Amino acid sequence: MSATEGHSRTGVLTVRTGVRPAGYGLIRIKDRAEAKGENDGRGGGGGSFLLHRRSALVALGLALATAAVCVTYLCVGESFIAPGDAVKALLHTQWGLGPATPNDLVVGTLRLPRMTLGLLVGAAFGIAGALIQTVARNPLASPDIIGVSQGASAVTVGAMTYGVGSFAVLPYLSVLGGLAAAALVYVFAWRGGLQAARFVLIGIGFAVALRSVTHLFLTKGDYLVAQQAKVWMTGSLNGRGWGEAAPLGWALLVLLPGVLWAARAQRTVSMDDDTATALGVRLGRVRLGLVALGVVLASMATGAAGPVDFVALLAPQIARRMTRTAQIPLLCSALTGAFIVVTADLLARKLFAPTELPVGVLTAAVGAPYLIHLLLSSGGRGRKGGTAA
Amino acid sequence: MTASASTTGTGPEAGPTEAGPTEAGPTEAASANRPNGPNRLTARELTLAYEDRTVVDGLDLEVPDGEVTVIVGPNACGKSTLLRALGRLLRPRGGAVLLDGTDLARIPTKRIAQSVGLLPQTPVAPEAITVADLVSRGRQPHQRWWQQWSEEDERAVTDAMERTDVTALADRPVDELSGGQRQRVWIAMALAQETDLLLLDEPTTYLDISHQVEVLDLVRQLNHERGRTVVAVLHDLNQAARYADHLIAMKGGGIVARGRPGDIVTADLVHEVFGLGSVVVPDPVTGSPLVVPGTPWRAREG
Repeated sequence: MSATEGHSRTGVLTVRTGVRPAGYGLIRIKDRAEAKGENDGRGGGGGSFLLHRRSALVALGLALATAAVCVTYLCVGESFIAPGDAVKALLHTQWGLGPATPNDLVVGTLRLPRMTLGLLVGAAFGIAGALIQTVARNPLASPDIIGVSQGASAVTVGAMTYGVGSFAVLPYLSVLGGLAAAALVYVFAWRGGLQAARFVLIGIGFAVALRSVTHLFLTKGDYLVAQQAKVWMTGSLNGRGWGEAAPLGWALLVLLPGVLWAARAQRTVSMDDDTATALGVRLGRVRLGLVALGVVLASMATGAAGPVDFVALLAPQIARRMTRTAQIPLLCSALTGAFIVVTADLLARKLFAPTELPVGVLTAAVGAPYLIHLLLSSGGRGRKGGTAA
Repeated sequence: MTASASTTGTGPEAGPTEAGPTEAGPTEAASANRPNGPNRLTARELTLAYEDRTVVDGLDLEVPDGEVTVIVGPNACGKSTLLRALGRLLRPRGGAVLLDGTDLARIPTKRIAQSVGLLPQTPVAPEAITVADLVSRGRQPHQRWWQQWSEEDERAVTDAMERTDVTALADRPVDELSGGQRQRVWIAMALAQETDLLLLDEPTTYLDISHQVEVLDLVRQLNHERGRTVVAVLHDLNQAARYADHLIAMKGGGIVARGRPGDIVTADLVHEVFGLGSVVVPDPVTGSPLVVPGTPWRAREG
């Protein structure tokens, strides 16, 4: 769009600006033949990647903000630790650099694992919400609204109540519960194709039904178990750490190629069905892939920290309003999710200290008004279009 | 500085010189094929149905290469359904749509998208997308995840936007445009796909008359200059007669007549297809048949 066309070249990697579509930068990786000038006009065997410039900046900003919150998180608590000391303790406990410090226990064993779990859970919920909202083309279609979290809760609370399985198995049971609920919703919403509105409504129906099943388990079960289950159900990072963070971290790493695929595939499913098909997209498969990935991520995050309400709903919508992209940005959604969860947990620890709130209470307290705002403003969405801030 | 200068030098130079011949290739091939070779897009014994309602039953069709084919017919005659089937948006209940002799169902959808473009009746744009972004999505079938933007993509999108006169709107969000502008943007997207075959489902609906003419002229120009084969569903019989090389009249899921508009459009045909009494006169501008409906209702005098 812009009249200037700049090239900066490093080896075979070219970064070009000034191409269509506006707002994107282009990263080119030339293969040898092309670099020698034997261009066949189609980009040859080299790669070229479009990068939404605003999204890149927003991602950078979010990363910095999250880093700042993380440092604060490590410093603030029952006892305040100066940032310098916190970093020293971090270096010693994690990488064995420098001398042991008196803060090793608090920073390395208490705060860091919990914070890491918060980051991972937030990122997983953010991506999950982005993917499911994209497929359903509806901001309401987040895993905590369409029954994924509720399915995970029902199975987990059921297992707790009847004493099935140890605490180590619970996260896996919750993943199974989430997947099963999502599969049911998908099957019931399918009628020769996936209809977005149907998908959301059936999901909400299932969510309500599963919530009552959970409550049934709660009333059936032992008082103490019910108390424990209640805390889990609100979503809490309290008393959790590497045990939950490590499996989730590995799972996210394994799913990374899937997420990279999704980031590209998302572009195409945001069109209507006919147009997407006409453009050569295998819509059924792509959608199923995106939903499956989203549900797995959401269920795993739920398994690790319980259903932290509204993060999956909020993070993608906030991220998208910041990047102003036509599709929901995955990376920014993940970062926003991580930022929200860590910030909320920081506040949950500090706000009514020494009493700790479950992090889900805070996310819900912010999320509910935002949900109402979404519902109120969605009526005028079509007309206002891109100007919606 | 030297390095960057050399890139700027080779890039754009290589682009047009390479693009030139490849572009002329299909055009020449298409026009050379026209009289003899088999047509690229055909349908055999096509049966189309929604749930248990059969819309089209046992239809045979040849889409003449390099011509503008227009399908007309009354509401619910199956014309849009037929177009959807030609663009593999609807899976046939029986028979097959063939592209270069192969059943569409057996060609990967991305491969089809490299040869056949289709603009649905009411396409929906992603929220807040800009014009340039939307048009560039037409390049989807030519891209891979590691090749998201080539010189060819850039050229095709620039060209499509210029042809449809939406270059000035490039940075505007699509939802803020007027109906006519929006339709031109969608057509630009379909053009950017650069397919030899282009299927358009009522491309002039919701447009005022000047934009209707503009769109149809554009279609004709593309067909003429680039040798693109076009199939369009139109509801205006007179526009169809003006712009079609090959006219197909449908009724009740079957083809009633096909051929040059001048050969087939008669008062009898209009009566048979639309159940309308009319007079057919030569169009004062083009000489193509012009359908003038019978006397309007009026109160009896006296």
